[in-house]
Amino acid sequence: MSTDVPSGEEKKDEQAEPLDVLDSGVTRFELVKEALRRDGVEILHYEPRFPIPGTKEEKRVVRTISFFFVLAGLAAFGFIAAYIWWPWEYEFGGADTWSKWYTPVLGALLGIALGGVGIGILTWSKKLLPVEELMQERHDGASDPVERRLTGATLAHIGDETGVARRPMLKRALLFGAAPLGLAALMPIGGLIKDPGDALFTTGFNPKFNGGNPVRLMREDGTLIRPEEISVGGQITAFPAIPGGATLEHADSPTLLIHLREPDAAEARANAYEMNQGSQWENIIAYSKICTHVGCPASLYEQQTNRLLCPCHQSQFHITNNATPIFGPATRALPQLPLGVDEEGYLYATSDYKVAIGPAFWEREKK
Amino acid sequence: MTVAAESRPRSRQRGRFRRLGKVARFIAALAFVGATYTAFSPGIYADEPTDAPLSIEAQKGKEIFDQSCITCHGPNAQGVEDRGPSLIGVGSAAVEFQVNTGRMPMARQEAQALRKPAMFTPEEAAFLGAYIQSIGGGPEVPDTVDLDNLEGADVANGGTLFRVNCSSCHAFSTGGGALSSGKSAPDIHPASSVEIYQAMLSGPQNMPVFADNQLTPDQKRDLIAYIKYIQDDQAQGGWDLGAFGPSTEGLAIFLVGIVALAIATLWIAGKS
Amino acid sequence: MKRRKLDVKQLPAKAAGELDDRFQLASPLRKVLTKVFPDHWSFLLGEIALFSFIVLLLTGTFLALFFDPSMTEVHYEGAYAPLRGIEMSKAYESSLNLSFDVRGGLILRQMHHWAALLFMASIVVHMGRTFFTGAFRKPRETNWLIGVLLFWLGFAEGFIGYSLPDDALSGTGLRIAGGIAESIPLVGSWVSFALFGGEFPGDSVIPMFYILHVFLLPGILLALIGIHVGLVLIQKHTQWPGPKRTEHNVIGYRMFPNYVSKQGGFFMLVFSVIALMAGLFQINPIWMFGPYRAEVVSAGSQPDFYVMFLDGIVRLFPAWEIRAFGFTIPAVFWPGIVGMGLFTMLPLMYPFLERRFTKDKAHHNLLQRPRDVPARAGVGAMALSFWVVCTLSGANDIIADKFNISLNAMTWGGRIGLLVVPPLAYLMTYRICLGLQQHDREVLAHGVETGIIKRDPDGRFYEVHQPLAQPDEHGHTSLEYNGWTVPKKMNRLGALAPTLKGFFKPIEQAEKPGANGDGSGEVEEGEKREEISAGK
Repeated sequence: MSTDVPSGEEKKDEQAEPLDVLDSGVTRFELVKEALRRDGVEILHYEPRFPIPGTKEEKRVVRTISFFFVLAGLAAFGFIAAYIWWPWEYEFGGADTWSKWYTPVLGALLGIALGGVGIGILTWSKKLLPVEELMQERHDGASDPVERRLTGATLAHIGDETGVARRPMLKRALLFGAAPLGLAALMPIGGLIKDPGDALFTTGFNPKFNGGNPVRLMREDGTLIRPEEISVGGQITAFPAIPGGATLEHADSPTLLIHLREPDAAEARANAYEMNQGSQWENIIAYSKICTHVGCPASLYEQQTNRLLCPCHQSQFHITNNATPIFGPATRALPQLPLGVDEEGYLYATSDYKVAIGPAFWEREKK
Repeated sequence: MTVAAESRPRSRQRGRFRRLGKVARFIAALAFVGATYTAFSPGIYADEPTDAPLSIEAQKGKEIFDQSCITCHGPNAQGVEDRGPSLIGVGSAAVEFQVNTGRMPMARQEAQALRKPAMFTPEEAAFLGAYIQSIGGGPEVPDTVDLDNLEGADVANGGTLFRVNCSSCHAFSTGGGALSSGKSAPDIHPASSVEIYQAMLSGPQNMPVFADNQLTPDQKRDLIAYIKYIQDDQAQGGWDLGAFGPSTEGLAIFLVGIVALAIATLWIAGKS
Repeated sequence: MKRRKLDVKQLPAKAAGELDDRFQLASPLRKVLTKVFPDHWSFLLGEIALFSFIVLLLTGTFLALFFDPSMTEVHYEGAYAPLRGIEMSKAYESSLNLSFDVRGGLILRQMHHWAALLFMASIVVHMGRTFFTGAFRKPRETNWLIGVLLFWLGFAEGFIGYSLPDDALSGTGLRIAGGIAESIPLVGSWVSFALFGGEFPGDSVIPMFYILHVFLLPGILLALIGIHVGLVLIQKHTQWPGPKRTEHNVIGYRMFPNYVSKQGGFFMLVFSVIALMAGLFQINPIWMFGPYRAEVVSAGSQPDFYVMFLDGIVRLFPAWEIRAFGFTIPAVFWPGIVGMGLFTMLPLMYPFLERRFTKDKAHHNLLQRPRDVPARAGVGAMALSFWVVCTLSGANDIIADKFNISLNAMTWGGRIGLLVVPPLAYLMTYRICLGLQQHDREVLAHGVETGIIKRDPDGRFYEVHQPLAQPDEHGHTSLEYNGWTVPKKMNRLGALAPTLKGFFKPIEQAEKPGANGDGSGEVEEGEKREEISAGK
């Protein structure tokens, strides 16, 4: 069988009569062209890249492709070896360690291996495969009107056969049965639905978590807090002193205790809203740490400007004025926790927060 | 006091008397002004504790202070309005921190004093600290805490403390972050262990104060050990792109990934 | 006993025969083998997304073998010293294990995350190409709709994916998502409680996210990607206008061997880029963030870049809350819910909106150069610039800190920028498109600038232009613009010697110009000149 591979442009409509495919005398390329023709493809341009085999240029290209594949193989071997034998276990990387290079070595070798195969294949495609330009008819657009009519008739007939159109009671009954069934299929999602109740209006400082007694404040390590332990111009993050008070069980409870300087404390007392009157304990003021915008901890306290900045969306709250927002997207002041000091000298919350903490929601004012 | 010109010299004697009188009145006027000034001006030694004179270090500190700090902080460190706050009661920790990090002397009035090359040697900073400590007291780094050798510090505890108290301003990576209106919490990488301690103790500018009864010296040591650990720990898994988080990661995927692959597509298919 | 002879050479033919006997593959197989695909670099951008998705599936499977999606609290006892003894969820602990206690775990985690970023970035770039060239017009509106859905599903999948490790950074993002859910009027608190199984954070959100992330969403994504690619196969890809190209044909090369080898090679390259980035660039160092705690946050907190536009617009939207009759519509409802709704609906509706405005209901298989549709290019520039301003505003605190700009000024800049930059972008793009169109027509009429300057006898300098067709006596041609690239440089006309191949030195001799037959006219080689010497 001759491998007749022509070069240059092909004449269109070369054969007047169809090719006899099963004729054994037909060349392979003629068979290929016939196959293309039957799929609506016409060859515009087709030539092998190296019509004369064995030129220096061809050998060069083959060598290049082989080089990339061999490189890939070596890199892959290197990857396997490094994966198994390079020290990988974590150790402090301050000194010069081998293990800190484990990931970079793996990544570099894997990258070279994959890249080598890729470049090899692509070079093969660009430099060894024949140059070709083919044209294929799309045959897209609407179907043949004959087909459309036939299919349309078939569908319409099937519709008639089911008889739904002719039987309105059946149609209505079907709808009545099917629609609720569809809804019923979605019902299990209802298992997710929970009534918020008053959960959004209570925090861990609510006495109900402490047997009806007011809740003290504690640090994250569980130690109780005395007022004198907060530096002037300083802040402490406090939690309700109940079991799990500093865990995510009470994610709404983190509170910022700030010890204001004397003039600032006086200003804060003077500015206090009615519900915040008396909530300060001397110069110590407590606000919810949960930002009223969307709930990040607002914790960047600027002790000289008395601004509290939330790092997520840059809301700024004025600490000496009820923590009202003075910049940014927050719309409501941070709720203030009313403080007291018990007979042992520890800080406690005289009541829960007076408004819902954190981000707003539809029924927020329904406390 | 104007002296009306005499029309005719009655006697030379009287003229001489008058010249003498002029001189006498001049001296009296000077004495009057001087006395008024002395009476109303704050005395240079007004706050000096009467029970102890300044130590040698404090004296040296005072000399430096009177030259370089007095314009903004006033002759007795009592502060000058709209220029510099009072340093009474700030303590040596604050002074050493500000001077050793070059923040003070501040180059100009601006939102934030930034770290810059220090103008004084650590020894001079210590003198200044001693001076301010002696005239007004304040927090100082205790001798009992070992900050040169952080062996035995609880790094994990330091991490917890860092994340609760510090990361909101200084970022998880200790690289710092923006505060409102042009202020910032600085990058902690350049700070030494002592400087970190001093900063916590003194609460420079808008940083809250963490006195030693709020965060004990051991807790501070744990914090410093954690900070130093994560700063020195080689970025695991390659270059950390500046440790800015998803913002630089997003930049990298476009500048490196998409650019490289777009160039690859040009190589593969070109323009037709 | 007779040994059956095994004819190895005939094995492929025999196997093929057996298969065809059972499945009648001959015709359909040949159809696939000979399918013609058009060739342009910009058609490969969507493939980046496809291949990164495959990498995501492969690396994700590995990670899923080690990850424990439980919010039960444990004490960490692994290799990373600064977290030892710290209480954390099992999800976070297993993610740390992957990073430090599983051999090769860190590079697989990083490959997964970089592949996710590449997936989203390439969708953005691919959407841009499809939009600006008008490939979404009839009959391909469905594919556009699927594509927009793929973007949003990828968005959800990525958000859920990086929230799985339950670290402090992604946990903050989850809190924000909860806050946005709470802002929905009437049912907000119920939606949030459904999501978290109660009050935030509960202990069911991570396990629920896990099933969404490894099962439900990948399934939907796979199905949609399958339909997306299938539609391209059935409808055939669009192509650029050019010689012999019409609305009714495709010109290019065959699926096998050319197209498939290019796709295979490109897949390897995409995989390679992901592997290289995963090894050389750290991503999502969760050990630095610590476990999620409600009181912990970092300065400079951002979501991944494809979510950053949402964070940006949430930062910028002013504090406008509506309170009436005891009910509240929180400010974040507008950017968080309504804004997201618009961002979803507008792109989905765009092909139909454009059809309405241009009254163009025709079937299109040829692409349009962006300059030829200045209004659409302008709209695209508007959308893109809006997205960029939002995304940059999502990182405005880092920009403020590193470039010493006031944070408050950055916020105001973003707010004003959102309103001012898109219209400016529209205007500029529109004018640039018109200018490019004019230049095309000018070159068609007057020819290509050759760079050869001549001087005529009265001293006037002029540049010689190479006309693109036979000019009239004034040097003008009457060529019409027909949507193809107009050659503007001499080397595009074949009028210069072809550029020499070879990287370091030429590997073939330069041919004489005009030899490959597509030159538009003969160019003289130039007379031999004598070497100019200093002269004596």
